[in-house]
Amino acid sequence: MVRPFVILFFLALMSLSVEAATSGTSQQVGDYPRVATVDWTLVETLMSLGVVPVAAAQIKDYQAWVAEPALPESVVDIGLRGQPNRELAASLNLDLILISPLFSAIEPTLSQIAPVQTLTTYNPENDFWQNLVDTTRQVGKLTNRSAEAEAVIERHRLRISHLKENIAVDTPSLLVVQFIDDRHVRAYGKGSLYDMVINRLGLQNAWKGQTNMWGYTTVGIEKLTTQGYLVVVDPIPMSAEGVFEDNKLWQALPAVRSDRVLSMPAVWSFGALPSAVRFAEELYQALSEQRAIESDSSTL
Amino acid sequence: MIQLNRWVSPAYVCLPLAIISIVITFNLIQSTLPDLSYRSFNFSVGLSTSEATTMSKAVIQFSVLPRIAIALLVGAALGLAGVLMQQVLRNPIASPTTLGVASGAQLGLLLATLFAPGLLAFGSEWVALAGGAISLLLVLSLSWHRGLAPVAVVLAGLVVNLYIGALSTVLILFHQEDFRGLMIWAAGSLAQNSWSDTLHLLPRLVIAVILAGLIARPLSLLELDESGARSLGISVRKLRLVGLGLSVFITASAVSLVGIVGFVGLAAPVIVKLMGARSLAQRLLWAPVFGGLLLLTTDLFLLQYSAQLPSMVPTGAMTGLLGAPLLLWLIPRLALKGSAPNTSTMPFQLTSKPNPRMFAWLLALLLISSIVALFVTRSAAGWVLTDTGQWEAIANWRLPRVLAAAGAGILLALAGATIQRMTANPMASPEVLGISSGTAVGLILTIYFSSNITVPLLIVSGATSAFITLGVLIFLNRRTGFQSERLLLTGIAIAALFEPLRSIFLANGDPRIQQVVAWMSGSTYYVDFSSGLSAFLLAVVMVSLTPLVARWLDLLPLGRNVALGLGLSVDKVRLVLLVLVAILTALATLIVGPLSFAGLLAPHAARMLGFSKALPHLVGSAIVGALLMISADWLGRQVLFPQEIPAGLIASLLGGSYFIWGLRRY
Repeated sequence: MVRPFVILFFLALMSLSVEAATSGTSQQVGDYPRVATVDWTLVETLMSLGVVPVAAAQIKDYQAWVAEPALPESVVDIGLRGQPNRELAASLNLDLILISPLFSAIEPTLSQIAPVQTLTTYNPENDFWQNLVDTTRQVGKLTNRSAEAEAVIERHRLRISHLKENIAVDTPSLLVVQFIDDRHVRAYGKGSLYDMVINRLGLQNAWKGQTNMWGYTTVGIEKLTTQGYLVVVDPIPMSAEGVFEDNKLWQALPAVRSDRVLSMPAVWSFGALPSAVRFAEELYQALSEQRAIESDSSTL
Repeated sequence: MIQLNRWVSPAYVCLPLAIISIVITFNLIQSTLPDLSYRSFNFSVGLSTSEATTMSKAVIQFSVLPRIAIALLVGAALGLAGVLMQQVLRNPIASPTTLGVASGAQLGLLLATLFAPGLLAFGSEWVALAGGAISLLLVLSLSWHRGLAPVAVVLAGLVVNLYIGALSTVLILFHQEDFRGLMIWAAGSLAQNSWSDTLHLLPRLVIAVILAGLIARPLSLLELDESGARSLGISVRKLRLVGLGLSVFITASAVSLVGIVGFVGLAAPVIVKLMGARSLAQRLLWAPVFGGLLLLTTDLFLLQYSAQLPSMVPTGAMTGLLGAPLLLWLIPRLALKGSAPNTSTMPFQLTSKPNPRMFAWLLALLLISSIVALFVTRSAAGWVLTDTGQWEAIANWRLPRVLAAAGAGILLALAGATIQRMTANPMASPEVLGISSGTAVGLILTIYFSSNITVPLLIVSGATSAFITLGVLIFLNRRTGFQSERLLLTGIAIAALFEPLRSIFLANGDPRIQQVVAWMSGSTYYVDFSSGLSAFLLAVVMVSLTPLVARWLDLLPLGRNVALGLGLSVDKVRLVLLVLVAILTALATLIVGPLSFAGLLAPHAARMLGFSKALPHLVGSAIVGALLMISADWLGRQVLFPQEIPAGLIASLLGGSYFIWGLRRY
C-alpha cells in the first residue's frame, strides 16, 4: 500500500521541479562568459587567454601536475574530472562548459547545466602544433577572446622559434622519459606534446618506437640506450626513488655513464600551448646547462 | 612404497617447460649479445661497439638473468604456499590468490605507501604479511561455521577479494596520478634491474622450504582424520597455524617484490598432483619446481612476444588470465568433499512467521532515507536543507540517482536472495556468479577498443557480455543439473578473469582509466531521469512478480532430494532461476557497475530481521537493498564533497564492515 504513494511522491516532486527549472538565470562577469571545464588542458588554455574559469576539476591535482599557470583561489573545485559535481556546477550559473572527448560520456548530463563544447586537442591525424593552435582559437572564439587567442598563438610561436635559433644545430637527439617506477618509464614519441616541441625546436626525438593514442609508451629502462641525451621529466614517483643509486641497469645506460642525462621540472605532458612553451623553455635551459658542463670538461 | 612412475610423472610436465625455457632464454641472450644495434635495440644505432657491448652485457646481467631467477623463485614460492594451504585446509582449490592472501598483502602495501610510508622502512614484506594475514583470518572466520568446507572457504575468499578490490578502487579513484608507478607492480611485473630482489627472496624461500620440510611429516598425517593425527601426539591446531603462517609469509614476500602473480599458487600443486605427485612430500618437492618453471615459461613468452602486443601485459596478470580457464577445466575434475547443503546448518527455516511490523518499519526507514537523500545535502556553504528554490537541483540531479540506486538495490537484492536460497549458501551473491564480472569484462574491452564511447554502446556491450557469461555458466553446468557448488565455482572462475584485465588496464596508465574506474566502482552518476525511473519501475515490477517463484525458493533450500520429493523438477527450476538472476544482475550492473555487495548483504540483513520464508524474504531483501543503495549513494555525494564517491563503493565498504562484524555468527 505504501509503495504507490512513494512513486506518486516522486512524480509530484518531478512535476514541481520542471516548473522551477526555467527560472535559472546567468549573468556575465567581465567581458567573457562564465565557463567551467573538467579538462586540465583546457584550464591551461583558458588561463593563457586571461579567462579565469569559474570552476575546474581536481584543482589540488592540477596544482601538482600542471602547476602553471596557477589558478586563483576564486576558482571552485567541482570534484573528479570524470564525475564533476553537477549540483555544485549547476549552482554556479555557468554559460559554458568545456570538455575534451575523453569525457564524452558526461556530455549529455552536463549539457543540462549549460551548453557543452567538446574540444579535441589530441587528434593523431593532424599536426600537433596545429591542434593546439586550433584548440586555442576555438576557446578564444567561445569566450569572446579571439583577438587574445591570436596574440597568444603568435607570442608562443615566436617564443619557440626564438629558442630554436639559439639552440646549437649539432645538439644530439633527445629521448624524453618520465619515470613510472624504478624499472619502467613512459617514453614520449610521435603524437606527444614533448615530441612536437622537440621537432619545432629543430631537434631530433630519439624515440621512434610505437606509441599509443596519447603519444607515449611504457617501456623498461633497458630500452633507453640512446646515443644522445636522455631527458628525465619530473616528478619522480615514490616507487622510483633511489632509481639512480642502486639501479645497476640504469647505471649501465650509455647516456648515464657519459653524463648525458638532463633532468627537467614537471611539465604537464598532455598540455596545451603554455605547457608546450614551458617545456621548450625548460628544455632550452637544461640543454644550455649541459652545454656549459660539457665545454667545461672538454677544456680541462 | 613409492612407485617409480609416481616420481617420474610430474617430470613429464616439468621437463618440456624447462626445455622451452632454456631455448627461449638462449635465443634471448643471443639476440641481445652479438649484434645489439640491429636486433633488439632500435635506438642504439651509432653506439660504439664497446658501449654497445657494455650495455648488452648489463642487460643480460642485471635484467634478463635476474628476471629468470625471480620468475623461478616467485613461482616456487607460490607453488609452495599453495601446497601448504591446500594441505592444511584440505581444500584442493586453496591458493594465495583464491583465499585473498595475495590481494590482502597488496592492499596492505598500497595503504602503507600512501598513508604511512614510514612503515615500509621496517621491510615491506612485514606490511604485506600483516595485510595477507588479516585477509586470511577474515576468509577463515567467514567460512568457519561451515567447517571450512572447500567451497565455503573459496567463496569467502572471493568475497574478500571483491571487498579488497573495492577498497583499492577508492584509493585509485582519488589518487590516480600518485598510483601510476604502483600499478605496474600491482599487476605482477617481473621486470628486474639488479639482483637485489633475487637475493632478498632466495634466503626467505630457503628457510620456508626447510620449515615446510620439517612439518611435512606431521602435516601429511592431517590427511588421516584429525583424531588419528592427534593420537599420534600432534597438536593439530599448532600445526595448522604454522602451515598457514608459513604460506602467508612466503606469499607476502613474493607479493612485496613483484605484486600479484595470479594462479601459479593454485595451478602448480593441483597439476603436479594430477600428474602423480600424490604424497605431501612429493608435492612439496614438485609444486615449487613446476610453479617456478610455469611462471618462467609464461614470462619468457611474454618477453619474447611483448613487442608485438599493443600494450604492456605484466606477467602476473597474464598468469591470472590463463588461470581462469584452467580453473574452469579443473572444477569438474575435483573431488569436493562433502559440504552438501543440509537443513540443520541452513538458516532458512520454514517455521518462523513473517513480521508485518518489521515491514512497516523498513518502509518507514526507506521513506526517511529517500527524503534525506532528496532534500539534505552539503554545498559550498556547508550543510543545507533544501528549500523550494532548489526543486530544479532535486529533480535534475538527486531524483534520478535516488531512483536508480533504489532500483539497482532492489534488483541486486532479489538476485542475491534468489541465488542464496537456490544454492542454499549464505555466501552466494550475484557477484559470485560471475555475471557482473562478465559484464564488466565486456565493458572494459569495449572502452579499450573503441575510440568513441557512448552510453548506448556501453549498454549494448554490457548486456551482450552478460548473456555470453550466462551462456558459459549454463553450458558448463548443464550436465550437473546446476548443482550449487559447481555453479558457484564456475562463477568464481569467471570472476577471476576480471581482476587481471583490470590490472592490465591500470598498469598501462591509459587516460581513459578515470572513466573505467568510476564506472567499475558502481556509480549512479550517468543515470538520467528516464533511465532512473525505468530502473525503479522495473525493480518494482520484479518485486511484484516474486510470488511466482516463492514456492520454488521455499523448497530449494531443503536440498535436492526433499525438493524432488515434493514434486519440484529441480533442474528445470534451477535453470529458470539462474536466467532470472542473470537478468537481474546484468540490469543492476549496467546501472551501478559490478561492485556493490547489495546482493550479498540485503538478503542477509533481511534474514537477520526475521524474514525467512521465501516471499517475505524476497520482499524484505528488496526493501533493505533499496535502503542500502539509497543511503550509500547519498553518503557518497556528501562524504568528500565536492568529490563524489560512487554508491557501489560506499555500499561495499558498508557491506564489508557489516561482514566483519556480523557474519562470524553464521
